[in-house]
Amino acid sequence: MKKALALLLALCLALVALSACAKGPEAPGEKTYRVAMICDSSISDGGWGAACYNGMVAAAEKRGWETAYTDSIDQSAYADTMISYCDLGYDLIFAPGNQYSDAVKQVAADYPDVCFAVLNGATSLPTENIMSMLPNADQIGSIAGIIAGLMSKSNVIGFIGGMELDTTKSKLAHFESAAQVINPAIKAVSAYAGSFNDTAKGMELAASMINEGADVFFGDASAVDSGARQAIDQANGDTVRIIDIGQPADLLGQNPCVACSVVTDNAAMLAICLEKCETGTFGNEVVFGSLENNCVYLGKFNDALIDADTQAKILDYVKQLQEGTFSK
Amino acid sequence: MNWIAVSDLLISAVRMATPLLFVALAELYSERAGLVNIGLDGLMSFGALVGFLACYWTGNPFLGVLCGALGGVLVNMIYAFCTVTLAGQQIVYGMAINIFAPALASFIYRVVFGVSSTLAQATLMKTVAIPGLKDIPFLGKLLFDQTPMVYAVYLLVVVTAVYFNRTKSGLNYKAVGEYPKAAETMGINVIRHKYFASVICGFLAGMGGAYLTTCYVNTYSDGIVAGRGFIALAAVIFGRWSGSGVLMACLLFGFFDALQLRLQIGTDLIPYQLFQMIPYVMTLIALTLFGSRIAGPKAKGKPYYREER
Repeated sequence: MKKALALLLALCLALVALSACAKGPEAPGEKTYRVAMICDSSISDGGWGAACYNGMVAAAEKRGWETAYTDSIDQSAYADTMISYCDLGYDLIFAPGNQYSDAVKQVAADYPDVCFAVLNGATSLPTENIMSMLPNADQIGSIAGIIAGLMSKSNVIGFIGGMELDTTKSKLAHFESAAQVINPAIKAVSAYAGSFNDTAKGMELAASMINEGADVFFGDASAVDSGARQAIDQANGDTVRIIDIGQPADLLGQNPCVACSVVTDNAAMLAICLEKCETGTFGNEVVFGSLENNCVYLGKFNDALIDADTQAKILDYVKQLQEGTFSK
Repeated sequence: MNWIAVSDLLISAVRMATPLLFVALAELYSERAGLVNIGLDGLMSFGALVGFLACYWTGNPFLGVLCGALGGVLVNMIYAFCTVTLAGQQIVYGMAINIFAPALASFIYRVVFGVSSTLAQATLMKTVAIPGLKDIPFLGKLLFDQTPMVYAVYLLVVVTAVYFNRTKSGLNYKAVGEYPKAAETMGINVIRHKYFASVICGFLAGMGGAYLTTCYVNTYSDGIVAGRGFIALAAVIFGRWSGSGVLMACLLFGFFDALQLRLQIGTDLIPYQLFQMIPYVMTLIALTLFGSRIAGPKAKGKPYYREER
């Protein structure tokens, strides 16, 4: 009896699996392209994962692609997950981070017909079917530094990182150096939460930086940043004295302390990759995201926190940064 | 370092130790009845989500904590059924809870809020200062200006210590974890005790999770528990399965975690990873110093078969 039941169950499973496969191929002539994203963090983290996922959806909508994703996967599953998508016939795999580079190289070699786009991938990474997308971390840090340099009254500015990634390090370095160009007395305090998820730790870090006198904050740590903003709001009470610079999306209005954001437009960079995949010109290329091609830009100002005069100064400095005349 | 900084450090240590303490006590009640539950991280995640949702929808953090606790009980009943009634391997089912519950929480959050670049925010529980006592310099803010949850968890430590050492019922409870067969011959219902232990464990662990999202931070994001369940597990072993020991272990860990965050700020030369090791290294050192002569409940981890000889 039990055996019969088990057999029946197995049959049902097989049927379900087969019917799922059956609806695969579309009408010939009009091919629907498909893009899949893998991610080690969650796509609903209100930070990096969410920004990348929304970027993919926006880019896919623009070009009429279908999307899929697998999130919260361990390092050991990077390659397996990508292979599964390749076998399912996806046209492009989107890997949002430098940490996927090794797995991408390995899988891309086995699937020469599938395109791979790596966000924050190294300039040496691209091959016949791999492209890197590289938002300019130096510019991102510098823009935040310009705002901090003009807005800090205590001359102490805070930076909270998730992990010590290369991009995080250069954001921090340029955040401090750009602020010092404007106000040489400024000192940056920084710390790493060792996680992109531990919101509570972000709160503790920000609270102790506020005790050190920090009054302008910038970060690179997804959900940890939300905790930092909460601590800033709590320290502010009813009047905002301590401000936060949001990233990577425009976070104006999320918390009262958000004065402005440095926005990275992942969708625009990914759309370039999708287009190249369609036209068959994909590969051997790095798509740079910067002020010049509008893939990195200054978000909206919070008029209550930054007066018109300072806003004009910020815009002026950012223009200098774009033209390369902003002195280091 | 001035007094304000020291007081700030201690307040932060208490704040960071509280969720650990809830969950460590949960594990203490579970292990005292012979059930090693390594699924604490999962129970916390689910409690954190349910607590957050209840708080978000009703605007009442107390209701949030209660719902979070009940969510923890619900999930832990799966563990209890598999390990007590079916006498399955406790470690295996604990691990299963750790995989299942956070994924379920993540799924529910996504169904409710979708994927956006901002996180939903709920109200936080207010601190309740005890009049008079809170004005004592230095200690006042540390001990008497906290959320009701903090007072509750310290009260629970006292209750736990008295219960296990000074009451007949507590000794019966302990007997179930030490030598269930002897307990059964003395008329103690072992199975019922184990289920009761699982209810308490789920309740407290869910509460610890809900504390994170209703008293600590006002958002929920996947991975918010960040391994606290495993630290609490270690705290029970480190605290030698006693209420006061667990309290010391959690405070010690909270203190060094708060300290390492402060040491990181303002030091550029030393790699931050070294600071992050501090709480773990201190726990190891303390464990070696205090020795491990007192072993845990003898029957922990073993399935109980009533009719086995």
